[in-house]
Amino acid sequence: MEDSPSHLSLVLDLSPTQWHLCSTGENPLPLNAFLAHLLTFLNTHIASKHENSLAVFAALPGKSEMLYSSTDPTPPEVTDTADSNTYQPFKALDSAVVNGISRYMDAVDRNAPEAPCALVGALTKALCYINRLNHVPIDNANLAPTIPKAPDPRILIISVSPDLSSSYISLMNSIFSAQKLKVTIDVCKLFGPDTVFLQQAAHLTGGSYLNLEHKEALLQYLIMTFLPPPKLRRYLATPTQDKVDFRAACFCHKRIVDIGYVCSVCLSIFCSPLPVCSTCRTKFPIKTLQRLNSSRPPPTNGVGKPKNGVPTSR
Amino acid sequence: MSGRHDKNYMDVDSDSGGSYIADDPDFNEGGARGTKGKGKKAVRRKETFKGKSKEQPYAWEASYTRSWDTVQEDDTGSLQNSVQDLLTQGRRRRLLAPAAAIRRTIIRHLVILLDLSSSMMDRDMRPTRFDLMLEYTREFVVEWFDQNPLGQIGVVGMRGGVGERIGEMVGNPQDVLRCLESRTKLEPTGEPSLQNAIEMARASMSHLPTHSSREILIMYGSLTTVDPGNIHDTLDACVRDKIRVSVVALAAEMKICREFCDKTGGSFGVALNEGHFKDILFELVPPPAQRAAAAAGPGKGSTADLMMMGFPTRLPDSSPRTLCVCHSEMKSEGFICPRCMAKLCDIPTDCDICGLMIVSSPHLARSYHHLFPVKAYTAVMELTPEERNTRLKMCYACSSPFKELQKTTITAPGLSPLDRYRCPNCKNDYCADCDLFVHDVVHVCPGCG
Repeated sequence: MEDSPSHLSLVLDLSPTQWHLCSTGENPLPLNAFLAHLLTFLNTHIASKHENSLAVFAALPGKSEMLYSSTDPTPPEVTDTADSNTYQPFKALDSAVVNGISRYMDAVDRNAPEAPCALVGALTKALCYINRLNHVPIDNANLAPTIPKAPDPRILIISVSPDLSSSYISLMNSIFSAQKLKVTIDVCKLFGPDTVFLQQAAHLTGGSYLNLEHKEALLQYLIMTFLPPPKLRRYLATPTQDKVDFRAACFCHKRIVDIGYVCSVCLSIFCSPLPVCSTCRTKFPIKTLQRLNSSRPPPTNGVGKPKNGVPTSR
Repeated sequence: MSGRHDKNYMDVDSDSGGSYIADDPDFNEGGARGTKGKGKKAVRRKETFKGKSKEQPYAWEASYTRSWDTVQEDDTGSLQNSVQDLLTQGRRRRLLAPAAAIRRTIIRHLVILLDLSSSMMDRDMRPTRFDLMLEYTREFVVEWFDQNPLGQIGVVGMRGGVGERIGEMVGNPQDVLRCLESRTKLEPTGEPSLQNAIEMARASMSHLPTHSSREILIMYGSLTTVDPGNIHDTLDACVRDKIRVSVVALAAEMKICREFCDKTGGSFGVALNEGHFKDILFELVPPPAQRAAAAAGPGKGSTADLMMMGFPTRLPDSSPRTLCVCHSEMKSEGFICPRCMAKLCDIPTDCDICGLMIVSSPHLARSYHHLFPVKAYTAVMELTPEERNTRLKMCYACSSPFKELQKTTITAPGLSPLDRYRCPNCKNDYCADCDLFVHDVVHVCPGCG
């Protein structure tokens, strides 16, 4: 059981702006140096067990793309020449990823404003792909070479962009479906401040979240933290995170609230009682407002009073 | 067909199986088994029993009448394609429902009424109705809490002529599962009493606020009920209290059950077999649309409300061990109620000390997909030559190749012969598997992101 194969889906955040920033500031890590680290890591993954499978997804501005998948026959690259010094699967993987990335980077319109990175799209694709591996269709069960059922699947997100608040709901939805599929989501934050959303993703699915301190040691981080499949991590001391913030921010002032007021229709959160929901335009009964307002600021007044008819008889 | 219509066959079968009436509208519309007019032929039980005429077959026969005709061999003599199409079609059925904007009840309260009468020991469903019911109920509870994280479930059993409280109304799936755990404690005996059990469920929901839904789900295997009074009074009381009653019958349609569902706006279904039992049970998982009258009335009937909720602080595993208020256990991890600082083990819950509803932001987020559903994909019937060149040859989400145009044996609305389903927003094509997965599980379109 400890020696079972595992599937890795890599989601690569390829926002050109962020990568530019990442390659300039102090302690820089340019994209090509990063790719050298990454490809070594990916090669290690497919080399560590014959049945291990791998898929690489790129989150690009405004779209997402699958760069490589070990189950699909890779389209023959014209530039490839057989190299007797390289293990062929490594070669296929490296060229697919590098060519894919350079193709998209060349196509970037330098003058147009950059669309937000489709991280959720790439993540959803990764989930659909894992779902597909889980459901090997009946009809080609005997025809196709036995496609391995994605065993012990996990997703590694390498992120450089900050949180995108507009994609909060869709990102949460993907996290919940990952939970349902028992997919572990690992997050490696290469550049920029911590992203709360991805911290939650890692926490909810039981993965690791890592914000790199020493970018030049990326490969070591990758191998020590993200190479062992989730089943093995019980025996290892992988980084855990204690301070995940699960408090919510109110919709009106984006303030973090302890006690919030929630619209029963659309679940919008407000920091103070409002007569009308600003999201769905629902009017709330006056009586509720009065009751909530009267019990509001000094919390000592409110304790013991039944709120919202919530039963206190226990 | 006609050969099976002799008297003997009828008599043998009518005592136990005569009850299967396939007039559940969902089941008839679903075209998984040839749809040729069986809906009209499905007649009420009484008529079927009296008029054993040759023209009017039993409803359960009608529903299977021509199922074998729809399965056709392909060129190589294989049935696999046909079978696959049938499967796909059956799974897509649910997606065809109109996705109009409706207001759904997010805060739900449900009481599950389990029939624990001796009729549940019948073996017409394997291994027994009782075992199957328990198994599916457990799965149902898990799925229900997954989709309705802010809801609460209570469990009431019906046996020995009384209603028996098996589980209090709680918001934690583990607590509900624990009360369904022990098979021996729930051993079926005696007669069921609908009225007693419904009254008990009704009483436990009488205090609930108006913005939450009150629902009763009855799983009923018996054909009788022993009631202390007039059950129609109970029915009226349920209508008055706006309690939605849904029934999943394991044996047959009973008039009173049907009436309960019709008058309170619930759904009624008779399970034809094990799989169908699960299907009609799980159709009750997604939150129901709020009643039009209640949603429209801006005045007194308004059900919207502002709820006060607490967002707790999570204590890390490394914090010092303290007692929790819910189980009085020494634990290091837990959640702190922001109002009274009590330590709770699990969320979402109502704080045991101050009664504040404690949730975390992911719990709220889990309900959002009901509010912002993914638009239904449209089936692509054919590609123009131009499209054939420009379109991706594989599913946009999972990169599995699409099939080339092939003769499908079944044509039904919403089923694409090319296995291509297109998102109206981002115009990308998806395969049937991903379509299902996106709409049922992920709730995010990979193209729209």
